Amino acid sequence: MEKIFKRILAVLLAGTVVVTAAACQEKEPVKNLVDNKKEEEKSVNLFTPMEKSNPSAKNIARTAHEITIAKAEETLNLKVDFTTYTATTYQEKTYDDVTLDRARNNMDDFYLLNPDAIQILGSEGLLADLSSLDCAANLREIVKTANTVDGKLVAIPQEVVAHGLFINKDMFDEYHLKLPETPEDFLECCRVFKENGIETPVGANRWWLESFVLAQGYAEMYNGDNTKAEIEALNSGEAKLSDYMRPGFEFLQELINKGYVDPQKAYTYEAIEGEGPDFLAQKTPIVMAYWGAANADTAYGKPDFNMQVIGFPSSLGQMPVVSMTGYGVGAEAEHKKDAMDVLDVILSDEMLKLYADNNKVISPSKNVEVDCIDALKPLNDKINEGVYVLGSNASMKVEQWGNICLIVRDLLNGSSVDECMASFDKLQEDSLN
Amino acid sequence: MGKKYKKTGINRSIILNTAIILVFCILSAIVYFVSGKISTEMSESAISNLHESLDLIKGTIQAVFKKEAEFQKLIAKEIGSMENPYDFVRSYDTDNRNIKISIIPAGEATGISNTGESFSAGDLDFSAGNTVDGLPVSNSYVNEMGTWAYTMKCPVIKNNEETASLYVEYIFDSLEEALPGRFYNSSAVLYIMDTESERLVLKPKGIGERSAGHIDLQDFYRANNILEENIQSEVDNTIKNGHDIMFYHKIQEKDSLIYMWSVNDGSIYLIGYVPVEAIQKEGNTVNQYLLIVVFVMLAAFLLCCILYYLNKRQQNKSRKEQEAEREKHNKQLAEALKAAQIASSSKTTFLSNMSHDIRTPMNAILGFTTLLAKDVDNPAKVREYTAKITASGQHLLSLINDVLDVSKIESGKVMLTMGEFTLNNLISAVDAIIRPMARTKGQKFFVSVTGIRHERLIGDETRINQILINLLSNSVKYTPEGGHIWFRIIGLEKRSAQYEHIRIEVEDDGYGMDPEYLKIIFDAFTRAENSTTNKVQGTGLGMAITKNIVELMGGTIEVASEVDNGTLFTVDLELRIPDKKADEQFWKEHHISRILAADDSRDITEYIKTLMGETGVVVDTALSGEAALKLADDACRQGNGYDAILLDWKMPEMDGVATAKLLRGFIPENVPILFLTSYDWDELQEKIALPENTSFLSKPFFVSAFKEKLLEVYSKQMPKEKMSEPSDKSILEGKHFLVAEDNEINSEILAELLDIHGATCEIAENGQLALKRFCDSAQGEFDAILMDVQMPVMNGYEATRALRALNRKDAKTIPVIAMTANAFAEDVKDAKAAGMNEHIAKPLNMEIVEKILSKYL
Repeated sequence: MEKIFKRILAVLLAGTVVVTAAACQEKEPVKNLVDNKKEEEKSVNLFTPMEKSNPSAKNIARTAHEITIAKAEETLNLKVDFTTYTATTYQEKTYDDVTLDRARNNMDDFYLLNPDAIQILGSEGLLADLSSLDCAANLREIVKTANTVDGKLVAIPQEVVAHGLFINKDMFDEYHLKLPETPEDFLECCRVFKENGIETPVGANRWWLESFVLAQGYAEMYNGDNTKAEIEALNSGEAKLSDYMRPGFEFLQELINKGYVDPQKAYTYEAIEGEGPDFLAQKTPIVMAYWGAANADTAYGKPDFNMQVIGFPSSLGQMPVVSMTGYGVGAEAEHKKDAMDVLDVILSDEMLKLYADNNKVISPSKNVEVDCIDALKPLNDKINEGVYVLGSNASMKVEQWGNICLIVRDLLNGSSVDECMASFDKLQEDSLN
Repeated sequence: MGKKYKKTGINRSIILNTAIILVFCILSAIVYFVSGKISTEMSESAISNLHESLDLIKGTIQAVFKKEAEFQKLIAKEIGSMENPYDFVRSYDTDNRNIKISIIPAGEATGISNTGESFSAGDLDFSAGNTVDGLPVSNSYVNEMGTWAYTMKCPVIKNNEETASLYVEYIFDSLEEALPGRFYNSSAVLYIMDTESERLVLKPKGIGERSAGHIDLQDFYRANNILEENIQSEVDNTIKNGHDIMFYHKIQEKDSLIYMWSVNDGSIYLIGYVPVEAIQKEGNTVNQYLLIVVFVMLAAFLLCCILYYLNKRQQNKSRKEQEAEREKHNKQLAEALKAAQIASSSKTTFLSNMSHDIRTPMNAILGFTTLLAKDVDNPAKVREYTAKITASGQHLLSLINDVLDVSKIESGKVMLTMGEFTLNNLISAVDAIIRPMARTKGQKFFVSVTGIRHERLIGDETRINQILINLLSNSVKYTPEGGHIWFRIIGLEKRSAQYEHIRIEVEDDGYGMDPEYLKIIFDAFTRAENSTTNKVQGTGLGMAITKNIVELMGGTIEVASEVDNGTLFTVDLELRIPDKKADEQFWKEHHISRILAADDSRDITEYIKTLMGETGVVVDTALSGEAALKLADDACRQGNGYDAILLDWKMPEMDGVATAKLLRGFIPENVPILFLTSYDWDELQEKIALPENTSFLSKPFFVSAFKEKLLEVYSKQMPKEKMSEPSDKSILEGKHFLVAEDNEINSEILAELLDIHGATCEIAENGQLALKRFCDSAQGEFDAILMDVQMPVMNGYEATRALRALNRKDAKTIPVIAMTANAFAEDVKDAKAAGMNEHIAKPLNMEIVEKILSKYL
């Protein structure tokens, strides 16, 4: 034992000497420690309202959108840089304003565009034709229709956004109210709520009240047999746009007049941030929002009550309003080819499936189906039946989504329905010139 | 003494443990202190580095601002010297998207831009009063290109009069090129914030990529959970005063340093954060390595301690072992001393006994010899005296044999002679010796064999015999008249397929032994001494010999005894089973394929069945005479009668003889009927007239005994003329032997004995002479050579070897019989190795001589 002890000690000592000697060895001869190789990494620039998260940052749940971007970066061996802008007050330039400025100045390679921006930039010829992309072949017809300007497919969405009314079904049941089908039903429901002490039955923000107008104005056009001809008539001035808009505006006026909507709050509220808390606190039984809000925990994903999402009231019953934010590539973008390649990756069926599965949204690809939560079934059923109106249609000369939104704001700000109709007439007139 | 030592040991252990713990504590404290110190210094250094980096970025941005201001002043000066400054502005390169130049003539509200559009200063807000190199700078705004921008205003002086204002719009994006590509390896976040609007106007690529908190200061607070009012208030105050601020806060669960760095007197701020671990990377690494080193050193220290403890423990163990060894040694010495004393005493007693035991027969021999001389004319007296002399001589011989055996065993020279034997022969031999002894003393002797699966075994039959004779003769000796002796052989459960595990029990209801004597019963030179056993003669070596032989065979021997209640010896042995199969040929040759065994004990019938299993003979069993009759009758009717029948002598209701008589009524005459009996059948045979073709077979049943008995019965069935006439003539009669014997008396005795049996001999005094005589003899002159072993000139072995090597036809064939006092098994082996045919131990027993020579003559 003593021998073993001595041997172990000897080995330890020898090891220590060797390690110490090794540690004290001379450094390598002087050499340039700087790597002068420049990083030659390809990059494309995306203008979007969302900031890109640091891919190496932990604890950040990356969104499905970013996963698709990361996939494109990996596939194409390039980097997608994000430039972002978000308005903080209504006085500031909106995201769409800045998008238009940037696209017109060719500041970025590709953009995430709202429907109105798609229509405007498409008609100005500032967006590239994406119909040659592989992913374009998989798109649903409705998507192609909504994003085609002058025969060119100028944008492709990652999701089809369906807007609907988010209903507190428990409150409706409490007052024995049926879910509204027509504007009259809706007004009746509001009356009952108001009479029962609900101060403002409809929670609204400065963006989405136009859905009522679109549902009432275009329900019959989009669900009839003469859609194309009616659009042509509007584009040529044969039909008056204000005639389509008037019922919805008068309806909104009535909501305002009867105190079912608070115009001042609606004029300043940002989407969900403003009206959301009251809805979740069950002070407001009705709000409007987009499909994804029903899935997002940060929006209406976890209500404490039975929530249902239905279409907006119209003469044809509940009517979903479908709009699409799409990706468009600058016609003269510095990295146009790379940007289009990125779109081909992020809008491929594989990535759209991933996106749709993660966000539980309707996919623009006809090959991708997704299960929706119970709350969304009424809305989903309508869409599956082919009953909906488009919130934006790039083939209409007068941009719809942005313009109607702005004119609704005028209404909220005190303009009369007639004045609003005059604005539509002017817009239509301008579009004819 | 022991307690004191133990106490000192415990104290030393406590001191040592305390010292180790103290070293640990001191080391831990030093490590903690050094680690903390390093951490603090590295942290301070890291903060200082961060400070410097931010200052550097700040300086860079301010330098860019200053260059822009200088550029603008230069342009303004140039424009001031121009005749038509507006054309210059219009012609300015519009491709440079980073700059927009506009000019407004003094006193007018609008002017023109290099883009060709009219320009109004009304949209620009200079209210914050920020300046760069004396030029007013507007608040930040999103310009027509959709990017954050600021505008500097510079007066255009011509002839000392301000003729216009030059506005140049710069975009924040252009600052990006002046900023580092990565900040703390992209783990730090850095934005440029417009102080007035608190909007984040530049988010450099590679720095500050975040999914939230990118809009303005409030968004930054919200996203990073900086919600403490006091912090926000202090930040507000600091920003208001245009000072820098840096503070710790948790961001994304990580300790981070949040910084807000004033640029251009606070007109814009660098804001962001860096995780502490990112700036203290080196410190952490140093601490980690330090910890590793400390851990390794502690591990080494612990290892040393463990080794020390192990060493110590080993030493203690060795010391204890040595002490134990010493104690054991002392004890052994004491025991040895005691044993030596006992041995000495035993040997003294032994010698005394020997003296007595040898003198007694010697006395008898000499006494009777004297009487013989006196009464030589009285044949009856002569016969009586010679018989007594012979008995005393035999006793003396056995005494000498025992003593020699013990001496041999003690010197380790005993070797076992392994060979195949049958339990039947073994038991028969023992029975033949013990039963008459028991009968003489009026004792009842019972033999039983149970559970044995193999009758043929391999072992040293002679030695086993010796064990049994020793044990049984002791029982006979130490059991009073009329007592009982049981001899049992029991088959135990086999431990291995190749070995039969047997137990031998010898039990008696004799005198028994006291516990003290039981302890030394197996020691040599001991003999139970008491008034009763003193009547018994013996050397006291038998049990020692027995035990040694049993152990030599790998067995065990145990004894249990109570005074006046008897003794039980138990010997366990494992004996190898021979490989070869049972001899089936015998049964075929004698046309025995089916037998009937009847016994009222099922154990016995099953035992017979088991033993006969290897022979291929079918055994039917019956538990009564009636059942046996029925079976035999059925078999006869079916024309498949039994070839032999075993009947228990004594069965209830109908015994063996009655059954046999009835059986003879219908079975063929020549079918042997054998009576199984535990009784002394010699006596029975005398009393009872057995039917034809019947005989006795001793219990326990053995196949070999069965075979022998069958042969005996068959031989009786043979015609009388075929049987050889019994003759009283000795086999030795008329034979002529060459005897090599150096001892004259021995040679004389041999010559006389041979003469008595009608044989003659020639004596040679040593091997050489015997060899010579043989060489000189004619072919067939001698019928055999009786060779002593220990002889002068040439001993018996050498002579035999030389004889066998002779070039004579009969040299190889003539029987050479060793006749020697070298009577051990090894001597027998050596004799055979030398070429001798047989070995006969001296003193000579003529019956044995005759028997052995009969094989060769």
